[in-house]
Amino acid sequence: MFNRIFFILLFIPVLTFSQNCSLTLSGHIEDANTGSPLEYVDVVVESTSIGTVTDSKGIFTISNLCKGEYHIILSYIGYESKKVFVTLDHNVTKKITLEPSENKLNEVIITAKNTIKTTQNVASLNQRSIVDNATENLGNMLTAVVGVSALKTGNGIAKPVIHGLYGNRLTILNNGVTQSGQQWGNDHSPEIDPLVANKIRVIKGTSALEYMGSNLGNVVLVEPKRIYRDPHLHGSAHYSLETNGLSNGLHLQLQKYNPKISWKINGTLKKSGDKRTANYYLTNTGAQEANLAIQLEKKFSEKIFSDFYLSTYNTELGILRGAHIGNLTDLEEAFQRETPFFTSDQFSYSIASPKQKVNHHLLKIHSKYLIDETQQFNITFAGQYDNRNEYDVRRGGRSETPALSLQQFSYFIEAKYKKEFLDDFLLKSGIQLNAIDNANNPQTGILPLIPDYLSYETGIYLVGSKKTEKSYFQLGARYDNVNQNVAAISTTLPREIIRYENTFHKWGTSFGWKYTINDAILLSYNIGLATRNPAINELYSFGLHQGVSGIEEGNINLQTEKSFKTTLGFNTNSDTKFVLDILAYYQKVNDYIFLEPQDEIRLTIRGAFPVFKYKQTNAEIFGADISSKYQINPSFNFKINYSYIRGVDLKNNLFLINLPSNTIHSSIAYKAIKPLKIGKKSLENFTLKLSDQYVFKQNNILPEQDFVAAPDAYNLLNMKIATDLQLSKTRLRFTFKIENILNVSYRDYLNRQRYFADDLGINAVLGIGITF
Amino acid sequence: MTKFKTILATMFVATLLVTSCKKGDPVIPNEEEVITTLIYTLTPNGGGSDIVLSFRDLDGDGGNAPVITGGTLATNTTYSGVLKLMNEQEDPAENTTDEIWEENKDHEFFFQSTISGLSVSYDDQDADGNPVGINTTLTTVDAGSGTLKITLRHQPNKFAEGASEGDITNAGGETDIEVTFDVDVQ
Repeated sequence: MFNRIFFILLFIPVLTFSQNCSLTLSGHIEDANTGSPLEYVDVVVESTSIGTVTDSKGIFTISNLCKGEYHIILSYIGYESKKVFVTLDHNVTKKITLEPSENKLNEVIITAKNTIKTTQNVASLNQRSIVDNATENLGNMLTAVVGVSALKTGNGIAKPVIHGLYGNRLTILNNGVTQSGQQWGNDHSPEIDPLVANKIRVIKGTSALEYMGSNLGNVVLVEPKRIYRDPHLHGSAHYSLETNGLSNGLHLQLQKYNPKISWKINGTLKKSGDKRTANYYLTNTGAQEANLAIQLEKKFSEKIFSDFYLSTYNTELGILRGAHIGNLTDLEEAFQRETPFFTSDQFSYSIASPKQKVNHHLLKIHSKYLIDETQQFNITFAGQYDNRNEYDVRRGGRSETPALSLQQFSYFIEAKYKKEFLDDFLLKSGIQLNAIDNANNPQTGILPLIPDYLSYETGIYLVGSKKTEKSYFQLGARYDNVNQNVAAISTTLPREIIRYENTFHKWGTSFGWKYTINDAILLSYNIGLATRNPAINELYSFGLHQGVSGIEEGNINLQTEKSFKTTLGFNTNSDTKFVLDILAYYQKVNDYIFLEPQDEIRLTIRGAFPVFKYKQTNAEIFGADISSKYQINPSFNFKINYSYIRGVDLKNNLFLINLPSNTIHSSIAYKAIKPLKIGKKSLENFTLKLSDQYVFKQNNILPEQDFVAAPDAYNLLNMKIATDLQLSKTRLRFTFKIENILNVSYRDYLNRQRYFADDLGINAVLGIGITF
Repeated sequence: MTKFKTILATMFVATLLVTSCKKGDPVIPNEEEVITTLIYTLTPNGGGSDIVLSFRDLDGDGGNAPVITGGTLATNTTYSGVLKLMNEQEDPAENTTDEIWEENKDHEFFFQSTISGLSVSYDDQDADGNPVGINTTLTTVDAGSGTLKITLRHQPNKFAEGASEGDITNAGGETDIEVTFDVDVQ
């Protein structure tokens, strides 16, 4: 490679001497997902007026070009515009794909060229939707996917909930590495900056065989893209401003391809102050965040490719001051208050206790080795450091000493092998190893809620898939061996160290079948069996947990959970006028681990507290995600999504707590088919969307299962305007959104702040992006 | 492929290495903030022996239940009351009352009784002139039996209506102590 460039460089003076301006650049442009050709795509040579459009076969031709290097800009309504680098030393023909700018309801496109990669149900957020929602954290961003909700503590802390599963039961992969932090806490957000990702995928499946972590089926994959093969410096910058909380966000991305070493760098800075409900400020809900990610890539040969990834995520989050309570009496008093105690009538950026400070660093080295055309070998080494400090309002100047301080190191090694056989048979297998070292900082002066531990997990999997003309089959299995070495502190005096050592066997197996009935309809069926070992907090947590306003007790006798899940999917082609996607699921978990309120009320010097203990039951979760779209005409579309979920504790004949309410999201969107001309410039991809979000009251909960009744149903109205503007070398994007236009005051069942305060009031968001 | 055999071998060795480790002993935190003991000593103004109400929970929230000792008061009597808070996990026991007094603007004790005629008034004040409740006067009238609840609020609004007269209703803040004693007046 290096030689070739050297060769070109050597001859450039000679080449310019004999300027050849009769070269032709031609290309074939198609949809990245479907492979169908795209007509009327604008093709322009950057910094010139030379240009053309594609024909009905998606083909363009530009003749009479001189030898040299060019950037070609491709733009097309409804698609992400793209800049392609071309070295022209002879006539060149390129095949180029464009990504649709709109999120497809599902990644289902039924064509002859169908490239199904899995039988599981996958929904994804593309780069445009990630950047357009730059002010949101990962959990809130994912709620755009039907069937995904967020379990929140205020607005700043949000955990994704997929088909009712979250925390210990949900696997999140950050750039291929299982995110390792303090997943057990309901008030612990995943420590990931979604802005570094180019794509976020949500797998609503039956068993996550290829990934380490919980294999109950649901996975979130945060995926940064490979570096573009363009030898020039390119990048993007995005600034956003929100009126609610006066938040400012800045994201910068730079990248450069070089045969020696390619690099990409991402940085995010965010600062926000007190958020506001319809009627009052949420005092002490400010947040700040500073993240950086560095990606390096090198292709050693046609067979060996390596990449390096380093990311650091750092945040400080204020918790609503009025949500910090001492005992049950305080909690009951808080329910009675119209506005929370400590509510200030002044806006402020300051963050005081109670607050969280979290740092998460990830280092990953990955190499891919192409053994031959049909075989591939991948190896990954990764290390993570998670440092979580939580501050309470404390006596004697101790508010600046964390009340909870956990440091976790984790190490991950993975070797994967993939082979494509004849007859469209694909085999994937791998071995993974994860070691976690979790320690409490004794500086807190408080007995830790969860003990110090070491955990080792070794896993192995094998997945085979077979494609026939109309069907795609997948069958696989996975086994993990989990070893926990725990050193806890006794709760009785004198304090002493108590040791526990556990070994668990975890397995999973799943079968899936996708069947294309005809060009318009696709069916999928998945069935999976999996087990999950009890997590450290479920086994050993002990102490007063502010999160549950009670004393939480682990249960050392817990057994592994056994899950059976099945999904049935019905999809229509997403390119047709009427699109309907239905995913129905049923999951039965035997020995389902949950926190059960006990009859005992424990007396402490701070008053009486209810006692919660981890118990096991048999549970059932079932529901359906329905999304539909009607393309009224090329400019207008109407979408409606409905998600239904229900969970039952079969032994005690109760509902499961913390399950999302049913929701209906609907929207009507206008899309300008032709660019809007303003003088010589034109506004591309102009869209206007009005959306409505209706959340039902959670009726599937009994009064004795919670401290306070579930909040009423609510309805929010939102709007969004977005457009792109192409300048000679750069491209601008403007977005303007208004959320909760009617400034409705409401509370959400899955937001734990609902005990104390209303949810967010009206918010306007302005975003400006520049790509160069 | 020899490279990959080496890698696999390394991984195997790494597995053995890590799985043969034991978690080191955690450092037991020094729970200096804990309050294990509350003692309310009532001295009759006309002379006589002290009545001592006490709450003791030496091992904190978990473990053994607290030991609560109530008392018997005389009718139509005025007592000088002094509260003492301690952390008896420390040796010698740490006096937490001083720590509360140092932050007296941020703390207030409230006294609520179910016995008719039993009232508690404040004998101390913080820099703003608001009560703290470490030194109090307790007055009894009629005979009766019931409870006396002592609550310590951290960061209450002492300027809220009734708060400086000992009414907890509008005080807010968060509860650091809430103990209830059985009391007889006879």
